[in-house]
Amino acid sequence: MRRFVVALIAAAVAILLLALSGAAFGHSPRELLALLVEGSIASRFAIEGTLLKSVPLLLTGLAVVVAFRAGVWNIGAEGQFIVGALAALLAARWGVAAALIASMLAGAAWASIATAMRMWRNAPEVLTTILLNFIAIHLLGWCVNGPLQEHEQRYPQTDAIDASLPSIGNLHAGIAIAIVASIVAWWLLYRTAEGLRLRATGFNPFAAKWAGIHVNAQIVRAMAVSGALAGLAGGIELAGVTHRLFERFAAGYGYSGIAVALLANLHPLATILSAAFFGALATGAGELQRTAGISSAVSTFGQAVVMLVLILFSAIEEKRWSR
Amino acid sequence: MVALILASLPLAILAATPLLLAVEGELVVQRSGIINLGIEGMLLVAAMSAVLAANASGSTSIGFLGGIAGAALAAILFGIFAITLRADQIVTGTAINLFAVGLTSFVYREVPSLTTAPRAGTDFVMPIAWIALPIVLALLLWSTSFGLRVRACGENPEVVRAAGHSVALHRWLALMIEAILIGLGGAYLSLVLTSGFAENMTAGRGFIALSIVIFGRWKLKGALLGTAIFGLAAALQYALQASNRGLPFHVLLAVPYVVTLLILCGVAGRVRAPDSLGKR
Repeated sequence: MRRFVVALIAAAVAILLLALSGAAFGHSPRELLALLVEGSIASRFAIEGTLLKSVPLLLTGLAVVVAFRAGVWNIGAEGQFIVGALAALLAARWGVAAALIASMLAGAAWASIATAMRMWRNAPEVLTTILLNFIAIHLLGWCVNGPLQEHEQRYPQTDAIDASLPSIGNLHAGIAIAIVASIVAWWLLYRTAEGLRLRATGFNPFAAKWAGIHVNAQIVRAMAVSGALAGLAGGIELAGVTHRLFERFAAGYGYSGIAVALLANLHPLATILSAAFFGALATGAGELQRTAGISSAVSTFGQAVVMLVLILFSAIEEKRWSR
Repeated sequence: MVALILASLPLAILAATPLLLAVEGELVVQRSGIINLGIEGMLLVAAMSAVLAANASGSTSIGFLGGIAGAALAAILFGIFAITLRADQIVTGTAINLFAVGLTSFVYREVPSLTTAPRAGTDFVMPIAWIALPIVLALLLWSTSFGLRVRACGENPEVVRAAGHSVALHRWLALMIEAILIGLGGAYLSLVLTSGFAENMTAGRGFIALSIVIFGRWKLKGALLGTAIFGLAAALQYALQASNRGLPFHVLLAVPYVVTLLILCGVAGRVRAPDSLGKR
């Protein structure tokens, strides 16, 4: 309950600061808030938009939850998202199921590059995952300008894939997949011995080692699962929403996943709510850009404020505990 | 090939100057035991505040001061969380980066004049960054008692505490040194290399700086060498592109990151980081 209140405060502070910074540049805070609500939850169309935006956020958020729970710093969900989408595009000719499986495998493989470098060369995954993000971005840029460019060769984008997720109206099955994924993640982390070992590794790797847990194996697995989730997010975004790839396909979903995971206090089920909030914020921010000409990047600003408020709370809390 | 490398050298030194300043700043702060992942965001904020200040005053010198002020504000935000509140440095750094991206993109849309800035005259920053600063920082870190204490904060903060000094104070001072250097670097980016601000114009330089600090094994000689190699590779990429040797643009863009990755793997195994780096 306490955690929930803290999360609510963090979200409220973010919205408030957003309105205030809008006011600093002469936008009416009230109008700004009204547009945010209107654009995110006030109509059927808006709610659909919010749900669709929440799906990649939920999956990248889960990716971060799994990694952070194991004590590994996967800052690379962005790159895993892109590589997952690329693999899904290539596998789409064999159907949508094949595309999604390919996206998970590719995401897991991309994340595992960082794990391998940590295991064999002692390279910190904080840095390697970030660098792999940039490599993935340029890989995508090369693909959509070169070998995978659309048939007409007019724009830097791929042809649309035939495979598509089953959908009702605009809402695709990825929503269900993402929610099932968070339930499965919760079950695995909190209801299985394997999950306990993973959390123990993250909680205190030395104690875990003395308790007979193979810490490195846990890290390898957590990173692979994390990458698979981020890759799946990319695959679903491709097969459910965009159907084609272009340079700015990832749009920061990977980094946003960190904010989503923190707001959920690294709990897989709470991640559903957290992703819905940030999904609404991003969709509302899109409306701000269309109607009031305010950059939609304010949602990124909101994510940062939420993170900082949460860090502030936990820091205050920890001090009280340790002193 | 040799001719090509020599021809690329001046451009390489020039273009790598913001990177070098960032590397020098991050080296100092990491020596004090703090890993500042928010360096990318700090650089971005500095690039923007430099243009804002330069446009408001019409003077690029004021612009450089503006860059330092912007970087310092971002650094203070980072320091409150990472040093004073002893929050997790990686998470705080990520938050600072998101904060900077959101804030600068927002302001960029509100202030159209950001796309242009007065051009800087004589370039006094480049020689400072490549010659004066390495000497000054090396003397400061390895030949003064202040430097000894800063490094002790990175190796074993308990010792500093036992000797009656404040670990937090020394880390704050190291962070402020970093802020000055990052401020200069960001301003150099938006006032010298280009004249004006563009969204996400730092393009990962902060993250590359982090890697070069490791590549250079937390020493200034290594930092200079790493930045020079990196700058040369980046300049060669443009030269190769201009000479049209048929390598696709995006593959070339990815090369620096692959190189950094290989550097991290090739050398990281034998690297010894400051003992308390990143620990709360």
